[in-house]
Amino acid sequence: MAGLVEPGRWKLWAGVGLFAVVFIWSARGVEASLFRFIEGLPLLARIVVLMLVPDWSWAGRSLLGMVVSVQVALLGTTIGMLLAFPLAFLASRNISPHAASSYLNKQVLNLIRTFPEIILAVFFVAAYGPGALAGMMAIGLHSTGSLGKLYAEVVETIDPGPLEALRAAGANRAKVFWYAVMPQVLPEFLALSLYRFEINARAATVLGLVGAGGIGTIMVQALQFRRWEIVGMALMVIIVVVTLIDTASSALRRRLV
Amino acid sequence: MSSPQIELRGVEVHFPGGVQALRGVDLSVQRGEFVAIVGLSGAGKSTLLRTVNRLVEPTAGSVWFEGEDLTAAPPARLLEVRAQIGMIFQTFNLVKRSSVLRNVLAGRVGRLSTWRALLGWFPRRDLEIVHGALLKLDIQDKAFVRADVLSGGQQQRVGIARALAQEPKVILADEPVASLDPPTSHVVMRDLRRINQEGITVLINLHFIDLAREYAHRVVGLRDGQVVYDGPAGEVDDATFEQIYGRALKSDDFRGLDAEG
Repeated sequence: MAGLVEPGRWKLWAGVGLFAVVFIWSARGVEASLFRFIEGLPLLARIVVLMLVPDWSWAGRSLLGMVVSVQVALLGTTIGMLLAFPLAFLASRNISPHAASSYLNKQVLNLIRTFPEIILAVFFVAAYGPGALAGMMAIGLHSTGSLGKLYAEVVETIDPGPLEALRAAGANRAKVFWYAVMPQVLPEFLALSLYRFEINARAATVLGLVGAGGIGTIMVQALQFRRWEIVGMALMVIIVVVTLIDTASSALRRRLV
Repeated sequence: MSSPQIELRGVEVHFPGGVQALRGVDLSVQRGEFVAIVGLSGAGKSTLLRTVNRLVEPTAGSVWFEGEDLTAAPPARLLEVRAQIGMIFQTFNLVKRSSVLRNVLAGRVGRLSTWRALLGWFPRRDLEIVHGALLKLDIQDKAFVRADVLSGGQQQRVGIARALAQEPKVILADEPVASLDPPTSHVVMRDLRRINQEGITVLINLHFIDLAREYAHRVVGLRDGQVVYDGPAGEVDDATFEQIYGRALKSDDFRGLDAEG
């Protein structure tokens, strides 16, 4: 049965070999070694132990910082939703007034998404000074890109049937949009936005590290002075609040779709 | 003979890419008729139906509705005429996650001013008309149910209720029973017959021979974008259909018997 070899089998092995080469090349690039990993373990363990005994006197301030981070996420997500909404329709192949508009707006959305929130936050901190406002703008802009792309995908998968039915009944463009397009996309838009809010709540906690306000500000100061017990307190607040938001948000999303 | 309600004069439709769906169709329909358009899939039935309300623009020829040249009508006037012509579809074309009530209300928006439509501010009379349509199709107890939980037959009745909510003069039905089982098909066909008996013209695309013969007054045969037969339904026999289809008849050219007699 020598002839019974699946054609193209060699491609699999070539792929595995290629991956092995790239893996070793990357490991050398980051100077990863088992020795260095073991060397760092005792210090890592000490830090973890220090964080496990949080400084409860910072509980209140951590919580207040977290509230600001959540506010940043909430406002940022809302800004993203509002800006993504028109862009998504202009970028969609089926609803967009023109093929060129679809292409152009898709590229705009792609461009926006190339910038990580933290880089955007650095820009906005430089322009507007440190604080939560810069964080809100960074999250708002990034969410515009990511929500816009996801919204556009929803718009492109709607059932054209109801649109035809409304046109046949004498509806103009605005009425077709309102009665055939909106009811199809709105629940999906809201579910995606809630999911984005969960991601943004996490992102907002990190943005403080570059001066964009919220609980990250407390963390970055505590880190500077190696106050691991304060870092531990802030982390605990982040974990609890983020978990609560995730639970509530995913329960809501299940009801929407 | 009175002037026809719907008239197609030399209508041709070419789609981009060189496909010609209709090749010079002449057809006139009198008020109150029940006309079945039969033919194989691809013969141009859907295109023909959609030229009547100009969902498909004729490349040549003209479409007349109650003495008015629709092909020359300005956009706003076209919308007014469309509001008087109900349409039902093979796949129902409902907003699946909206309630039955909202779907049927959509039949009223054509006559509503845009700002009232966007606010959802329907006049009391509209709500009464919608209620009447739900009653007529016997789906009033489903008004607040999401459309996608209904059976196919019930969804098609929502589609018919939406068309009736327009208080139409004509109903265009594009293969309305093709996705339904035989008993449900007959239920829907009887609904359409009842509507027709109340004075609404029905123009229906069918590929089931027995349904066309049983329910229609008149059969128009379409092959390759041309009308190849036009006569009273009572005079149509299997030979006529073989001539329209250009091949011998098969069992799936028939929908089958009505279980309820």
